[in-house]
Amino acid sequence: MLTRGTLIYIAQRLALIAFTLVAVSFLVFITVHSLPGSAFESERVHGKALQLLLHEYGLDRPVLVQYWSFLTNAIRGNLGVSFQIRGLPITPLVMRELSVSAELGGTALLITIGLGTTFGVLAALRQNTWVDYTLTSIAVVGYSVPSFVLAGLGVLIFSYWLPTVTNGVISYPAIWTGTYGTLVELSLPAIILGFYTSGQVTRITRAAMLEVLQQDYIRTARAKGLKSRIVTVRHALRNALIPVISILGPLVISIITGSVIIETIFGIPGLGKEFVESITAADYNITVAVFTVYALLIGIANLIVDLLYTVVDPRIRY
Amino acid sequence: MTDSILEVRNLSTHFFTDDGEVKAVRGVSFSVAPGETLGIVGESGCGKSVTAMSVLGLVQRPGKVVGGEIMFKGSDLLKLSKEELRNIRGRDIAMIFQDPLSSLNPVLRVGFQIDEAMYAHDKIPKDQVETRGVDLLKQVRVSDAARRIKDFPHQFSGGMRQRAMIAMGLSNKPDLLIADEPTTALDVTVQAQILELLRDLNEQTGAAIILITHNLGVVAGLCKRVLVMYAGEIVEQGTVEQIFERPQHPYTWSLLRSVPRIDANRGHRLLSIEGLPPDLIDLPQGCKFNPRCPFRVERCFTDSPFLEQVAPEQRAACWVTMERAYAEMGAGNITDTSPGAASGIHPAGRTRPAVEVPAAVAESVSD
Repeated sequence: MLTRGTLIYIAQRLALIAFTLVAVSFLVFITVHSLPGSAFESERVHGKALQLLLHEYGLDRPVLVQYWSFLTNAIRGNLGVSFQIRGLPITPLVMRELSVSAELGGTALLITIGLGTTFGVLAALRQNTWVDYTLTSIAVVGYSVPSFVLAGLGVLIFSYWLPTVTNGVISYPAIWTGTYGTLVELSLPAIILGFYTSGQVTRITRAAMLEVLQQDYIRTARAKGLKSRIVTVRHALRNALIPVISILGPLVISIITGSVIIETIFGIPGLGKEFVESITAADYNITVAVFTVYALLIGIANLIVDLLYTVVDPRIRY
Repeated sequence: MTDSILEVRNLSTHFFTDDGEVKAVRGVSFSVAPGETLGIVGESGCGKSVTAMSVLGLVQRPGKVVGGEIMFKGSDLLKLSKEELRNIRGRDIAMIFQDPLSSLNPVLRVGFQIDEAMYAHDKIPKDQVETRGVDLLKQVRVSDAARRIKDFPHQFSGGMRQRAMIAMGLSNKPDLLIADEPTTALDVTVQAQILELLRDLNEQTGAAIILITHNLGVVAGLCKRVLVMYAGEIVEQGTVEQIFERPQHPYTWSLLRSVPRIDANRGHRLLSIEGLPPDLIDLPQGCKFNPRCPFRVERCFTDSPFLEQVAPEQRAACWVTMERAYAEMGAGNITDTSPGAASGIHPAGRTRPAVEVPAAVAESVSD
């Protein structure tokens, strides 16, 4: 499957991703360093003490020099230290938070693809019936209602209302109790996070299926006497997945940006929550690190999407 | 007609659209003998394909078979369950389609698509499917079949794709192969190859073939018997010789006169059929061809003609028939093919604007 051309293509894309990471980190680095205020403001250190502190973290050097030392360290896997929690190395922190976010985002992505394609296929097969109308309506709600509204409602219902009504039998902790949530703790934020993107996938899958079902090769497949399940899945869905795959890239971005909000509301110790907190605390190194990790994730997600094309559609070769 | 493998009786298929009920096929009856080659001809939209799709139960919403019987091997296909019909489709009756590019799934290998047809049924033992796939591709004369079977459709040429379609159709050794415009999308040279292939396969495998086409040349080359359809009805049927040499329905006659022939004398003019086929939602009264027929008579506007024996094995649905048109209306020398031109019938409300007689001519006549 992996031809020489494909390997060269992957190498080129990886080089492009590396370049993007440098560009993104540079822009973010310059931006956060030009913001007013600093991480030490709340500590009421002034004069010589502040100078010493700034010197200790290398913040008294010119910004470009600081960026250069960040970059050279980052290539070796060292993303610097936190200012807020003095001297805490960022790399292990980010890695741990990334694994939490990946758990949440991965679950949301699975929900998105599973639910979205199933709904889309069912709606297309039962076009203009109550099944279609119901599923399409759910999809519209999914991508119309902002996730922070849904998250707020979720917390209200499952953490406040239901525990009260059921006298605590059904309860949902609004804040994760451990670093990694239990399946129950994970389910609500993951469903809410995946709901918006599921709506998008439903919409695209339905439209693609409706178009594909009109194609001559579907008629051929039926004329061969294939079972309708095989016609739907093997012949129709495989072709309908091509447009769905093309929106996977943007979907991953939606999930990442959505996770920032969801993690903050549900108190999930992931990258998104850290991202928000680092900005509030002017903990520059963390902000830059998280931003760079996000850029890396998006770059890799898009690369995987482009490679998936070749798996689904043999006409595409790199 | 007990020796026929397929007998269609009084088949009607309508499409229920927002604009009204499109009566695409109305009261069509015909039969196919084992090993026979039957051609169905007519212009686009005359119901040829819908007839074929109805036989296989492939008519999609908003279309529906509204009446008739389709007897195949002693059972009425219209009364079978979905699963029973699925078992006949592709196994006993196979169909190949017009555009071989869009009729093959672009994301699946050609060999897979051929083998799939065999795996779907129990006629070919599972362990022989893959070898048979290659053999079929060889049989339809795709060179280097063993390698090409792993290709995707886009790696095939148009002719090769149609060969692959035929291989797929033949894979389960069907009793009947319905070919819907199998050569339309192909080059003339490739058309000839495909027709030759179909003829050979008909002789070798004994599968009956229904060939649907608007191309009379294709019919002449392959079929023994022909049905001519117009506006959802069969207007004439007969052997290929009868249809080509002594057509009795004015539509068949016009159709033949509109095709250039190399053996016709040079003075022979090509005639066109004026007008368009009728709106299948709002059909004309009487004969459906009357708005375009040069030989129409008064009766054509009131009564629908039915298929009547005009010669042994030949039947035509016409109140006039060409025999009379030649004898009484000078059909042999006709140059004006406008409606009613030969018979002079332009009933009220359907009259063409009167030709103004120039003053000078009028004077000379009155003198």
